[in-house]
Amino acid sequence: MTEIYSSLFGQNDAQPPTGPAALGFAPGKPPPPMPPNQAPVAAQIPAQHGDEGPTLRKPGAMNEPFYLLRELPVGNDLTGNTNLITHYNLEHAYNKFCGKKVKEKLSNFLPELPGMIDCPGVQDGSSLRSLIEKNPVCGNSFSPLTGALLTGFRLHTGPLPEQYRLMHIQPPKKKSKHKHRHHRPQDPLPPETPSDSDPKKKKKKRDDDPDRKKKKKDKKKKKNRHSPDHPGLTGSQTNSNSLR
Amino acid sequence: MTLQQFETLYSTTKDSVTKHVMAEKFDNLEEHLEKFVENIRQLGIIVSDFQPSSQTGLNQKLNFMITGLQDIEKCRQQLHDINVPLEVFEYIDQGRNPQLYTKECLERALAKNEQVKGKIDTLTKFKSLLISELGKVFPEEMAKYKAIHGDDPPS
Repeated sequence: MTEIYSSLFGQNDAQPPTGPAALGFAPGKPPPPMPPNQAPVAAQIPAQHGDEGPTLRKPGAMNEPFYLLRELPVGNDLTGNTNLITHYNLEHAYNKFCGKKVKEKLSNFLPELPGMIDCPGVQDGSSLRSLIEKNPVCGNSFSPLTGALLTGFRLHTGPLPEQYRLMHIQPPKKKSKHKHRHHRPQDPLPPETPSDSDPKKKKKKRDDDPDRKKKKKDKKKKKNRHSPDHPGLTGSQTNSNSLR
Repeated sequence: MTLQQFETLYSTTKDSVTKHVMAEKFDNLEEHLEKFVENIRQLGIIVSDFQPSSQTGLNQKLNFMITGLQDIEKCRQQLHDINVPLEVFEYIDQGRNPQLYTKECLERALAKNEQVKGKIDTLTKFKSLLISELGKVFPEEMAKYKAIHGDDPPS
């Protein structure tokens, strides 16, 4: 700020003058006289301080009681005072994304995409960031494979080795209430992994539970039949029991 | 119909047509990508337990893969002006829904909008208070100031 004051009052010395006189704020004193080289110094100001916004007034206006009086900036119609979401017609988008709960996982956005897509891409080298950092080779045309080239794709019969079976592992799907299981055709069975063994065990337990329940029910029915307090018992039944 | 009404109608129609055209391009690309992914999935199924009778099917799937890439390459030319923010890639790489990025952008924009509006309102009130107080203390100077700048617009 002292540089602005010193340049305005024509003080071109390397060292800025000290004291209130340099600022032109001496109380009760008239403003300092205009030096003859004031115009070119003032003309340099907009070039030097062009980034500070509106230009300063001309030197002739400085005789007025206001110093450094700038022109008001041009009014901008679009300011933070307006609701920018309504201005850009984003109300529907705002209600859609912010009104409802958006699910966290990527598989909720792409439910039909096969494979484990909720895992970080860095783990299996499928991250998009690596695609940006190492650009793939582009520009070559895609030509169909000829018979000679297809001979390179003759495979050995039989299942894949275990180390190459990772791509067929599907994430455990949530069990629906209706218990409908939609299997895709020709889906191979996923290999037994530690993550899969627990739902299988749970499935086994659940399979056992209805059987156990049935057995328990049968046992209860038998007990109730043979108990004397059962209302359904008749004399013939008691006689049959006594004969035994 | 007034000129303003006509301009509004024109801009809304133009926006809807633009959105429809862009939606078609995205739908086209999405369709090709889905077919490509499904083809790759079926290719993986064939390879997982390969039999000699599956060779012709495998060759067919390989050629479908190449035609799929050709179709995706054609779609690329229609979408050359689409820009995707890099922050979305971070969400996808972390296995998160990219719609969360849109949601957070909207929330941040609204919060900033409210913050700036608060600043504007506060500064407007300060300006009117300052002018009124200065007018009480320096009536002549403020009269000259208003003569130079004109009457201030109502806050």
